[in-house]
Amino acid sequence: MSLPFLNAASIPAPTAKAKSVIYIFLAGGLSQYDSFNVEVDKTVLGKSTIIDSNADGVRVSNYFPTLANHMDKLLVLNSMQTNQGAHPAGIYKMLTSYNPRSSITHPELGSWVNKSLTREQDSLPNFVSIGRGRAGTAGFFPGQWAALPVQDPNLGIDFAERNRAVEREKFNKRIDILDAMNKGFDQDYGTKDTRSYVDTYASSLKFMNSKDIDAFDLKKEDANIVSLYGKDEFSRSCLLAGRLVERGVRFAKVNLGGWDYHNDLYSKYPANANRLDKGLSSLLTHLSQKGLLESTLVVVSTEFGRKPEVNPNRGRDHHPDGFTCLMAGAGVKAGQIYGTTSSDGKHAEENKLDVIDFNATIAWRLGIDPAFEENTPNGRPFKLANRGEARKELFA
Amino acid sequence: MGKMGKALKSVVIVLSICVSVPLFADPQGRARQIDRIVAAELDRLDQAPRSEIDDFTFCRRLYLDAIGRIPTLDELDRFIADDQPEKRARLIEELLQSKGYNSHWYNYWADLLRVKYVGDKLHHPGNYSEWIKESVRSNKAYDQMAFELVNAGGELYKPGNGATGFYAREPMPLDHLANSVKTFLGMGIECAQCHDDPYEDWTQQDFYKLAAFSSKTYLKVDPLPEDEKTTYAEDRAMLKQKDFDEWIVYRESVRVKHASIYGNGTGFMRLPHDYQYEDGEPFDVMTADVLFGEMPPLNYKLTKADLDSLKNKNFGPEINSRQSLAGWMTSRDSPMFTKATVNRLWHQIMGTELVGPLGGLTEEEMGDHPALTMKLIAIMKAADYDVKIFLSTLFNSRAYQSRALPLGVEPPAYVLDGPIVRRLPAEVIADSFLSLKTDTPDKYVATEFKWDGFTHFYDKSQKMEVEDFVDYSIKGPGRQAFQNREEEEARKRNGESGPKDLWRVSSYRHHDGNHEVAVLMGQSTRDLIDSANREPDIPQILYMMNGDLEGDVIAQSTALIHRNMEGVEDQSERMEIIWKSILSRTPQASEERLFAHAQDDVIWALLNSNEFRFSK
Repeated sequence: MSLPFLNAASIPAPTAKAKSVIYIFLAGGLSQYDSFNVEVDKTVLGKSTIIDSNADGVRVSNYFPTLANHMDKLLVLNSMQTNQGAHPAGIYKMLTSYNPRSSITHPELGSWVNKSLTREQDSLPNFVSIGRGRAGTAGFFPGQWAALPVQDPNLGIDFAERNRAVEREKFNKRIDILDAMNKGFDQDYGTKDTRSYVDTYASSLKFMNSKDIDAFDLKKEDANIVSLYGKDEFSRSCLLAGRLVERGVRFAKVNLGGWDYHNDLYSKYPANANRLDKGLSSLLTHLSQKGLLESTLVVVSTEFGRKPEVNPNRGRDHHPDGFTCLMAGAGVKAGQIYGTTSSDGKHAEENKLDVIDFNATIAWRLGIDPAFEENTPNGRPFKLANRGEARKELFA
Repeated sequence: MGKMGKALKSVVIVLSICVSVPLFADPQGRARQIDRIVAAELDRLDQAPRSEIDDFTFCRRLYLDAIGRIPTLDELDRFIADDQPEKRARLIEELLQSKGYNSHWYNYWADLLRVKYVGDKLHHPGNYSEWIKESVRSNKAYDQMAFELVNAGGELYKPGNGATGFYAREPMPLDHLANSVKTFLGMGIECAQCHDDPYEDWTQQDFYKLAAFSSKTYLKVDPLPEDEKTTYAEDRAMLKQKDFDEWIVYRESVRVKHASIYGNGTGFMRLPHDYQYEDGEPFDVMTADVLFGEMPPLNYKLTKADLDSLKNKNFGPEINSRQSLAGWMTSRDSPMFTKATVNRLWHQIMGTELVGPLGGLTEEEMGDHPALTMKLIAIMKAADYDVKIFLSTLFNSRAYQSRALPLGVEPPAYVLDGPIVRRLPAEVIADSFLSLKTDTPDKYVATEFKWDGFTHFYDKSQKMEVEDFVDYSIKGPGRQAFQNREEEEARKRNGESGPKDLWRVSSYRHHDGNHEVAVLMGQSTRDLIDSANREPDIPQILYMMNGDLEGDVIAQSTALIHRNMEGVEDQSERMEIIWKSILSRTPQASEERLFAHAQDDVIWALLNSNEFRFSK
């Protein structure tokens, strides 16, 4: 990534109803039948039991007792479909709208958003990836549109602070010597590439010294907001995402992996489900309290779901046809369920929603044309959401 | 060279590995051939030759280009103090024969060949990586190397058979073909995979005819059906019911023994189900044909008419046509193979394209200076694709030893008369830090095959019967520990590998994780050909300003740069050591005013300077 104002693209966004996206990605494949799709035959649900939520007609599994009180803010999408059944390809498809090919890498949705919506005056990067896992590549776009990675929400951005051993005055002296050296080199050997380095040092320094960098410092957050959240890493990541969106960051991705429970699902899954249950609930409360839910689209996605059968090893295997994602905020039809699977849980049935249409919908809500086309450096055209079309009916 | 010649050559290479490589014959003579052609072009354009670089600049440049790091203070001083004749030629010779060369050029080929773990089906790249390292160590002829990669087959984890990784790393056969063409012929035909190429001559049929050579080549990680049925199936079913982890260990361990590339081409291919042009129907049979040049003879067992009458999915019996493809692709008579190779190596050494885009050449194209291109092609052929001979020719040329040109700042115009100013590759930056930490930066570069968990287990598995696999799965340490334990045994088998913070980037293998600094500097993710990044970004700059260098080099009294200053009282002398260590030159008069600064501040500034990260 680099600071946005260095290179701004511009697509007007008059139809935008969302200013920002918080995109929670559950790598590994969330079991829809142990979470948000309980409207199937009871045998499909395994050991999960059904609980009511605060939204009429919306029920969830017993592993989400806290979120059950926030379902009025969420739209449940139970008819998701993808054509990929292995993790790397599934994740790639979900995040880029394309099948992986070895002749090209495609930009992630966040990278398209970054490139499309960044304005000159923006002082923070518009694509931030929080937590361990795939950070967010720019694909065939220049690297500046990739995500700025924050591995640990409690530590902020790597090396954004002066080394502890170096006082400010000493640091400034170093910069002075550097400037002198670079001026000498530039006279004889300066090119646009060397100047690009000089510019990036300038923006890095500006970034280090800007007050906006506080956005990444959770210690600066209001205690009342902090107390909405737990202390675990995912909760803290959600807190950071909320904090960034409040400061105008367009796309904050939060990674929560580990959902690939092929065996002993019911002994391993509850702890992870609990993280999601608490973290997402806190985030929704946070955004509501700050009045940010109207302008922020919260998305929960995963690369595919799990099979309706519990296998002999008490786990569930991959299942691409009929899995579940969530949306909240930005005018989404909250407190409802969209789409169904067949009652045996084997297939998406009503209102099937392919991942490319899902991605197109997110883009459209941000005011970006999902069919917007960009060429690779060697002239191959690709669209933001592939052939996907926005499902506008998901919004009120 | 015919295909039998190539097959024979690999045998000869195996036999000659222990014979030491002779000195290169007359690299300066060949270099003068290049220089005459460059000089004639400059004459024709009435452009003055660039000035020749001094010994300091030469030493730094050669270390960077030949072995991928800056020289240590001692290495620099030794070269400068050398007052015997031919010292540049001798340094070229020395570096090309050094361990540092093996490290640096491994990185180069590993990027081009995209050594990477690509999925969850156990296409572990360790053996592939070792095969490339061995090819570099033995200086295997490049055409032979390419031939072996395209023709690779058999077991993935059999030591020495790592060329199979080139196929195994690719998820789809047609993508693999397009990438092979781009890698070895420098041409982009991938568009024709799905549709007639609007810009080039290639049609989708051309693509499918080429694909016919390697049709039915496939990766299978599990045992073949017959073997599975008679040997493994019963216990597999038993374990699946018994315990998931044991079943997984069984599956994975059996795979390590059996995972293989099968098939060597049927010479037939069928058009795709969605074929849209008028010259054919979906599933029509295509017979193999080359994109250009001479069509190698194939020993068909069926006629096209025979196959036409069979079912859609039938591609015919195997006839070893993939070997013919490998022969055609790497032929010295090919209008593309050698041209693409010299274009690529010139780009690596000089920083610019000799002919055209590395992956977008055409058959007719000869670059802005066709005579030079033709000469380099001739030199490569005369050298029998010996990369070291080719490089020593370039390094000895006056063109290479000319002042680097900042591109885009005319005049003078760039006329393929030497290197340009360019940023160092990611691994070279990371490895150059080593030259400031230790006086033996190449110490831990491997000199022989290194085992990993997969090759090690493969080796053991040769003596394992099915009951041993069952035993291993039941008594084994479980799914995660399975791999870890084998890696651990392999590590012991390899012996001492030294502290990780003194490894060159090339020593990081798959299970060692990423080299974080190289990644920050833009190391290729190896998803695509030539995708290393030399642009700045904020995380990279933040690392350079505030990262580990402070404790590793800048303020680390045990680092070589500080040890070299021990006992040196005079401030100017100390500063000279800093300049020579980091920038491989003495300070200019105008820089002496910087001597008053604290020494760690100067080290910091020089390490962060453009002069450090750009090659000039």
